Amino acid sequence: MTHSSDSVLVLGGGIAGMAAAQTLGDSNIQVHLAETADRLGGHAATWACMATDECRQCGACLADDMVHQTGCHSNISVHLNTTLDRLEKTKDGFTAHLTSGETVTPARIILATGFTPFDPSALSGLQFGRHDKVITTARLNQMLKAETLAGFLGNAPQPEIAFIQCVGSRNRTLDRDFCSQVCCKISLRHSDKLLHLLPDADITLFHMDLQTIGKETRCLAADLSTRITLAQGVPAEILTDPDTSRLRVIVEDPDTGARVAKTFDLVVLSIGMSPSEELNRMAGQLDVRPNLWGFFNTPDAALADGIHVAGCAAGPKDILGSRQEGWTAAAAVLKELRHDPAPKADILVWGDGHNADTIARTLAENGHTTVCFGRGAAVDGLTVLDPGRILSVDGTAGRFTVRYEQEGGRSTLTCRAIIAAPEPEYQTLAGQADLSGALDLTAFAGTPAGQLPEQTAILLDYAAPETKAGSRLALNKALEARNAGRKITVIMNKMLVHGAQGQQIYDQARKAGVKFLRYNIPEDIQIQKTDTGFSLTLKETTLPGTIVTLHCDQLVIPETSVPGPGIDNAARLLKQEKDREGFLQSPNVRHRLTQSPRKGIYFAGPAHDDVDHTDLAAELDGIMADLDFPGPAQHAGVEINQKKCAQCLTCLRICPHQAIFLNEKDRPEIVPNACFGCHLCVANCPALAIESASSALDQAAEEREKDQTVVLACQRSAALAAGPLTLPDPVRLISVPCASRAGVNLMLKLLVAGAAKVIVAGCHGGNCRSMNGSTRAREEVSRLLALPGIPPDKVTWHSVAANETQKLARIISDTRISSKDL
Amino acid sequence: METAILEKDTELSRLLNRLTQGDNIDECLTCGICNSRCTWFDQQGGPVPRQIVRMALLGLERELVDSRMLWDCLICNRCTQDCPMGIDMDQVVTKARGTAAAGDQIPEDISKGIKNRLELGDVNGLTKEEFVETVEWVAEEFADDMEDPNALILHDQPDCKFLYLPNPRELGINLMHLTAMAKLFYAMKETWTLSSNHTDVTNWGYFVGKTDVEEQIARRVVETAEALNIETLVLSECGHAYHVLNCRVEQLLGRKPGFNIVSMPELCLAYAKKGILKFDPEIHPYEIAYHDPCNIARKSGGYDAPRELLALCCQGVRELVPNREDGICCGGGGGMLQDSGTTKKRMSTGKPKADQMRATGLEHLATACLSCHRQLGELSTHYELGMKVDTVAGLASECLVLSH
Ligand code: SF4
Ligand code: SF4
Ligand code: SF4
Ligand code: SF4
Ligand code: SF4
Repeated sequence: MTHSSDSVLVLGGGIAGMAAAQTLGDSNIQVHLAETADRLGGHAATWACMATDECRQCGACLADDMVHQTGCHSNISVHLNTTLDRLEKTKDGFTAHLTSGETVTPARIILATGFTPFDPSALSGLQFGRHDKVITTARLNQMLKAETLAGFLGNAPQPEIAFIQCVGSRNRTLDRDFCSQVCCKISLRHSDKLLHLLPDADITLFHMDLQTIGKETRCLAADLSTRITLAQGVPAEILTDPDTSRLRVIVEDPDTGARVAKTFDLVVLSIGMSPSEELNRMAGQLDVRPNLWGFFNTPDAALADGIHVAGCAAGPKDILGSRQEGWTAAAAVLKELRHDPAPKADILVWGDGHNADTIARTLAENGHTTVCFGRGAAVDGLTVLDPGRILSVDGTAGRFTVRYEQEGGRSTLTCRAIIAAPEPEYQTLAGQADLSGALDLTAFAGTPAGQLPEQTAILLDYAAPETKAGSRLALNKALEARNAGRKITVIMNKMLVHGAQGQQIYDQARKAGVKFLRYNIPEDIQIQKTDTGFSLTLKETTLPGTIVTLHCDQLVIPETSVPGPGIDNAARLLKQEKDREGFLQSPNVRHRLTQSPRKGIYFAGPAHDDVDHTDLAAELDGIMADLDFPGPAQHAGVEINQKKCAQCLTCLRICPHQAIFLNEKDRPEIVPNACFGCHLCVANCPALAIESASSALDQAAEEREKDQTVVLACQRSAALAAGPLTLPDPVRLISVPCASRAGVNLMLKLLVAGAAKVIVAGCHGGNCRSMNGSTRAREEVSRLLALPGIPPDKVTWHSVAANETQKLARIISDTRISSKDL
Repeated sequence: METAILEKDTELSRLLNRLTQGDNIDECLTCGICNSRCTWFDQQGGPVPRQIVRMALLGLERELVDSRMLWDCLICNRCTQDCPMGIDMDQVVTKARGTAAAGDQIPEDISKGIKNRLELGDVNGLTKEEFVETVEWVAEEFADDMEDPNALILHDQPDCKFLYLPNPRELGINLMHLTAMAKLFYAMKETWTLSSNHTDVTNWGYFVGKTDVEEQIARRVVETAEALNIETLVLSECGHAYHVLNCRVEQLLGRKPGFNIVSMPELCLAYAKKGILKFDPEIHPYEIAYHDPCNIARKSGGYDAPRELLALCCQGVRELVPNREDGICCGGGGGMLQDSGTTKKRMSTGKPKADQMRATGLEHLATACLSCHRQLGELSTHYELGMKVDTVAGLASECLVLSH
């Protein structure tokens, strides 16, 4: 049953608002999407692509894709330059008067008003607004996007650039005692991007505690640590050199401990997030009560009946997190409006630990018939089977076939979806030489406060990277023990203050008298076992030149998680690649956070990222939203002509999304909803049996006029980037479903028809919706260039993300200039 | 490299960490903000603020004293102005100076001054008799100068409207300043007195972090003022006196004093606004720069009165950059100026200030603290800035228009 009369008002057309609107629109809800600006996309749409040699998974380009899709959606009415003027509560919803003069009667409202970047002019010492080379991260993004940075720096060959983190965050005296969550990640990506563009730039990143949360950020930070200077301590004052006008900051020299001046050409302030002005303005009308910070991420904040919140309006988060929250909020609205969710049946949960157990039980409680290959107890709707006995997984979304071993026999079950949440392996480090006799953090956490020794030291980040869950557990337990009168010292390289209240808990711990020592590298610590406990000697980073010795009765160290056989097994049977650390995570931003490249297979919990229990709950909400309201089946326009098919099964092997299965007649068939339309099968089928709605392309190719520059642009990236461009006449843009569609044949056809140049432009590696499409396109271009008689600049390949309009314009104009030269 | 054993329970850590705003060092976030804001900037030597806090909080009291940062610190609080945890360097350093471990580092001049002050009532050792003699002589001269027998400088006179607390220099090498102030009081047409019981405005107990001494000195001021039954205590232009008597006195004494406290520039401004004091700005036909004394401005919030008064007495006030909350210490704070052995050092700590002064391109500078005044004057000479330095009230007195 659909309730087409229901409508929903979404306030805010950024990532969260668009994600919510799409999910609702897909379920036949009339959506009014009100956006104060004159365009959709929010902040994300003004952000630059962070790709270097490959996509850095920032998600910014998804905004352009989403703007495009939202704009075309028949159930979404977009109201630009519009916001809520007045609101009345009615029996079953609201009457909302919009500033445009229109009146709508939504049954529910989703608040997706996003954030306002913190205004650093409030901090006078930073000179923001007074010196043009002091800029914010937002401005840096704009310059990167417009490709104007080098010029702004006067084309200096070796610019010295500083990033200052935590500007307007983690500051109790400003009533902003929260971590803005995303800015460390952003500055790391920015540094990487800057080095890609200006390889000789000298970059210093001043941070309080670098939030290396999640594998991606951790790896990037490790990689950058040798290429940029990571300096602990954030300057709060920027001076101007009276002679050169360059920027100077005074910092502590980490070696000598003296105050020294450092000079820079550019200082980027890594500003935090504030709630949007819009929200402040409307809170009264909406009858919602945000917390002191203006967000909804602590228990003291309250929403009103019928109003949901998503994205940064709820609390600081990144693009992918906002998108996920938009989907989840939309699903909650659909449930409240009693829209029928997809049939609840047959979800397979895979994982041998408490994460999988939680997931399976929650699914069963929500009415999903669930089978868990794990260890928990069976309840209504949940069958628990012996783990480690799965033999194979075949099929595709909606129709997976799982063969497994049971009581000596073999059985088969079918399921709609699979959630892979195998437990990583938790290894104790207490066995390592200098740590022998130390206690695992979980064991420490389990000890009643009364039984703890007098003095305990907790050592973080020492033998293995600090994790979200580890640092939070350490903080909570340190505080508890301290409050029970114990002396607690936490020895750390940095404190991870992730989550809404991480900073507050850290503040509380210090206030209670938990001492924190900082070290730079593990080599700076010496650990000695003594008769009564441990003696630790370390170089304290905040006191260069001073070595401190600490005696404690007990030394506590967190366990480390490593991938382990559970994850290996899942990756193998689900035919998923593992990431560089050996975990399960989609290598592609388009499928993250929880989806895999294979439709119907989800990843959750610590098996795929640094996920704590708050994240797990959010992940599960996201997965259930997707399971309940998957939207209409989408046909990618690719079909196998069974009359031509030679049953060689090349397509079945090659499809990166496992969207092709063998039907009862043992013939390959494409599952519409699982197919991403990448056309790899089309290009590879030896019998030319796979037909595509875009086959008219080849026809079109032959009709090209002479001397044109032809751009074959991927529909999901370069073609979107070209959207705002007015192409000069001798340039023709052909939108292809995937860059890999630009096979040798098509390119040759174009050249034969007289094209002067062919530009093939598609996704950055790791961003290709079809996973391997862009790699394949690049190979095809090389293959063509290897043919005799084709000059090397005749056909070129370029990675262009949807938000790289300026880059595409430059590529086209460079190509044209060089053809004129000829 | 030295090895320090973490000793958390020291005298200092007991003194600090009351977890009230200011002395809550345990809450330090190690953000490093303070390091970038020290008044010493990149001058060699001097304090590294975060190191002070970290040593104090880790109980490394001995290391802190040995680092010799305690007496290089100007207690100007520039560093912790932006501290996200509201830690107050003034509290940390003065309390550390007050510990037994730091006892033998107190500069001799300051110990002596405190002794004089407690025993004689004056840091320079002026006795009660000498005080009376000096004041009476100045009073005579003043009446002559003003050609008015009613132009009075009284001492120990009860029931006056004002009690004036002079700087010791006003009864020593700078008697002219006392006369200048007397002229202002005279023009206000109010009764005022000095007191021989505590002749000056200073409270060096504050510099050495000895709360008992600080309290004793403050108590003497307050009780004498109360005994004289005055309405308002008027402070000579002095930074630390302003800070102690405006911001610390209540905590020191455990009660509010029974009278108002204002500084001389504040009083003059109030009387100018009432239309009683009139100034002739043509006397000072120049634009003037203003230096914020840290104790008055950043540490006590007294930003506007001296500027407003200057604006009435000159051709406009030019700001040093940066100023107010971010103002740079003159380089003589925290007791450094009171220690005669620091002249060379003060020229180095004052370098950033001198640069700031030079950048104005002006020839005149005023400030509202006699200590800053001295240091700024020396900077002007040392760095050949050619700048004449005045006090705000002194300038006001110079251009006072007396209506007979
Ligand atoms: S391709 Fe997209 S997700 Fe990848 S770095 Fe660029 S903008 Fe970010
Ligand atoms: S620590 Fe938190 S607030 Fe500070 S820059 Fe990093 S992410 Fe942002
Ligand atoms: S078009 Fe791509 S996703 Fe679709 S079936 Fe073919 S290979 Fe698979
Ligand atoms: S109080 Fe002044 S001199 Fe002392 S450390 Fe802070 S800024 Fe430096
Ligand atoms: S500014 Fe405050 S919190 Fe930061 S290091 Fe200095 S004293 Fe500690």
